[in-house]
Amino acid sequence: MVEAPLLQLRGLEKVWPNGTAALRGVDLKVRAGSVHGLLGANGAGKSTLIKVLAGAIPASGGDITWRGQTERWTNPRAARAGGIATIYQHIPLVPTLSVLENMLLEQAGGWRIDRAARDRAATVALSLGDPFDLDAIVGDLPIGTRQMVAVAQGLMSDPALLIMDEPTASLAGDEREQVYRTIRRLAGEGRAVLFVSHFLDEIVALTDEVTVLRDGRAVLGARTADLDEAAIAAAIAGRAVTVLERVERQRSTGEALLDVRNLTSPGKLAPTSFSATGGEIVGIAGMLGSGRSELLHAIFGADPAARGSVLVGGEQIGCEPAAAVAAGVALVPEDRAAQGFISGMTIAENIALPHEGWLIAPRREHDAAIAAIDDLAIKAPDADALVGELSGGNAQKVVIAKWLTPRTRVLLLDEPTAGIDIGARTDILRLIRRLADKGLAVLLVSSEFEELLAVTDRILVLRDGAIVGEADPATVDEAGLIQLASGTQSRTEIAP
Amino acid sequence: MTRSIDWRRTFGLREAGVYYALLILLALLAAIAHSRGLPNYLSPQNLGNIVYQASLVGIMGVAMTVMLITGAFDLSVASVAALAAAVLVGLAPSIGFPLAAGAAIITAIAVGIFNGAVVQFVGINAFIVTLGTLTAVRGLVLVLTDGRSLMVERPDVLQQMLAFESTRVPIFWAALLFAATLLALAAWKRRPLDALAGIVVGALALLAGRDFTVAAPVVYLALFTLAVWAVLRFTVIGRRIYAVGGNAEAARLSGINVHAYKLGAFVLSSAAAGFAGVLFGCRLGAINPTALQGTELTVIAAAILGGTSLLGGAGSVLKTVIGALLLFTLTNGFNVLDLGASYQGLIEGAVVIAAAAIYTVGGDRRRARRATVDTAPQAPAVAEAG
Repeated sequence: MVEAPLLQLRGLEKVWPNGTAALRGVDLKVRAGSVHGLLGANGAGKSTLIKVLAGAIPASGGDITWRGQTERWTNPRAARAGGIATIYQHIPLVPTLSVLENMLLEQAGGWRIDRAARDRAATVALSLGDPFDLDAIVGDLPIGTRQMVAVAQGLMSDPALLIMDEPTASLAGDEREQVYRTIRRLAGEGRAVLFVSHFLDEIVALTDEVTVLRDGRAVLGARTADLDEAAIAAAIAGRAVTVLERVERQRSTGEALLDVRNLTSPGKLAPTSFSATGGEIVGIAGMLGSGRSELLHAIFGADPAARGSVLVGGEQIGCEPAAAVAAGVALVPEDRAAQGFISGMTIAENIALPHEGWLIAPRREHDAAIAAIDDLAIKAPDADALVGELSGGNAQKVVIAKWLTPRTRVLLLDEPTAGIDIGARTDILRLIRRLADKGLAVLLVSSEFEELLAVTDRILVLRDGAIVGEADPATVDEAGLIQLASGTQSRTEIAP
Repeated sequence: MTRSIDWRRTFGLREAGVYYALLILLALLAAIAHSRGLPNYLSPQNLGNIVYQASLVGIMGVAMTVMLITGAFDLSVASVAALAAAVLVGLAPSIGFPLAAGAAIITAIAVGIFNGAVVQFVGINAFIVTLGTLTAVRGLVLVLTDGRSLMVERPDVLQQMLAFESTRVPIFWAALLFAATLLALAAWKRRPLDALAGIVVGALALLAGRDFTVAAPVVYLALFTLAVWAVLRFTVIGRRIYAVGGNAEAARLSGINVHAYKLGAFVLSSAAAGFAGVLFGCRLGAINPTALQGTELTVIAAAILGGTSLLGGAGSVLKTVIGALLLFTLTNGFNVLDLGASYQGLIEGAVVIAAAAIYTVGGDRRRARRATVDTAPQAPAVAEAG
């Protein structure tokens, strides 16, 4: 391989004005026509590196060589014009505009939309498997489809290098597969893809080369073929880790603690009945849009349109979150930042949110927060740290800690490990087991079927808002679960 | 709480700027007065006067701050206050002052419930709804007064109303007691900021002297501010108010009744406006149908000067009151020192924009304190828990 790399970084550094070093000398080579995986724990410097490459923030030191020339982009437009397209994890789309107009946001020219631009957008959409209607309003689309719009938007400028920051984090199986196909196709066309992910399996399956960041340094840079998942995970964590492993737990056989009867919500959820006993972890498997979150919200009383009954310990609970909380039901929602925590409040204040009573007891709340920080291994300077300043995994632990009161008997977890690094993920899964051992009934929704297989006692499979089957995690494997959840007819095959 | 104090933040422009602005303005006006050979500008009488002039806006501003903290907005307060004053002045001669005042406040609360219900249950933006009630309620005042000034002509009722509004209240011992309470609290809980507040209150009381009195509305403002401040600071209700404004969805999914809190803010805002209207009606014993027009903007300006975010989730009622004092010190200074009333609006507007600029540019110092503790995680085996 004598060919010069498309992108080469030498000793790239970034120090924030307050003295925090985010990057301490990163070396990285990306070749044209290759898929390059970038991994690292939360806070390792991945996002900073991406922002530097995208021209959103300037580097403090080191060289960027792009197509053989030293470059230093001063704004995102320059990087984009140079042939680098970046798709950020938190998708910056305009929710009030149509898909087409979002894809054309960066296009110059006089007319708002012309025929040629529309055709170009349609071609790009087709190459992605045509997952959306060009004239749909982005705000109406589910989050997975928005991700596809963002990918399409990135492709509109015909980039030589496409940077994707966890593009699959919010996607379900078939949509992920589309992203994978797209990435392979782009690499086949001679473009390079820098692919950031928390999922080791997709990194191993998809990439040609891998770079692992830890504490702002590149600690591993190698061809993927020479590595396996364990080696990559060890590089991320800094020491050897054990892969998720299923443990047989004692099956609880008590009475139903949570009993859901004919719970339904128009357009979202078909009449659904099931029950869970105390100490049981029930997994809910389903593709994106299968009604997983809708089911949890209906149980929690957060869906005003929901009908049917939910019984906790034999008592019917009212259709109001406050009533559910009073009955001991707790929900950890899917979108932490938008639904889970209040970023301007401290850890102690967030944890104390569901508490009843009249007066605030600062000392007790402070002690409770310190206890939670110790107990859940939350990495934070103190109980007065703002939750908005914590990394995803630690913020998620705060959201869970909020509900660890003696009152809570039923825990509803909606994608508790999404976008969280492997260490924190393991912590959270261990915590879920511990809580179930204490006698809580746990409903766990996860797109990580591997997680469901490792921690749950049984798995309900949801499809199109209805429970279509139940699986025993001891006997089913990931492929089998995917098959159950995606059904015999895959919806993506309908597209031409 | 054993919470360490970030001194740079506490005394930075973002947190304490409105206090500095008030002090600088007072010093400036005192210097001008002195150089022109006018009587002492900082006399207790004049300062008491400023607080009296600011009291109506202050009362509405405190409630407006709660409103803004929950993330909503109320443009209708001045019209509601005028309506309350009209109801009071219209009914007082026939049913007596106390009943008329009650009717005025109930009328105001009804408008608040209407505002809140339309905003919360129909889902229209608060700005639009209250812009509508601003106009409609003012129209109602015109209808009720038939476009003319109303006056209370029964002397006994007028006497009661004037007594409610203009009684001079000696506050020396109350202020000293309050200062002592603050100091005791500060010593007990080791809160140096409370000690500072206690010293300031105590010193002002001693400087003003034992015979110092203030008009009743100043006392109403102080009590109302103290009550709302205490609720926000010490009660679960207070925290939930901040939570509702900070992230309504997270609050809802924590089992907080978001509708009740938002509706409650509208009711509080209108009730405070109603009370301010009662005070206004009592002040003159009369109501002019265009009274208090435009005051809603002064109320919002006071809250913004006090650093309340229009985005919700942040704000302090104490600083809103200081913001109101700042605005009325400007007005008072222009009048007393005869600085040319034409410049007043220009200066006031510039001050509001400058304050907002300081809060935006100098703000977020706390965010800059990045959490740097998040390094590579340890990854223990999931299996060992089983």
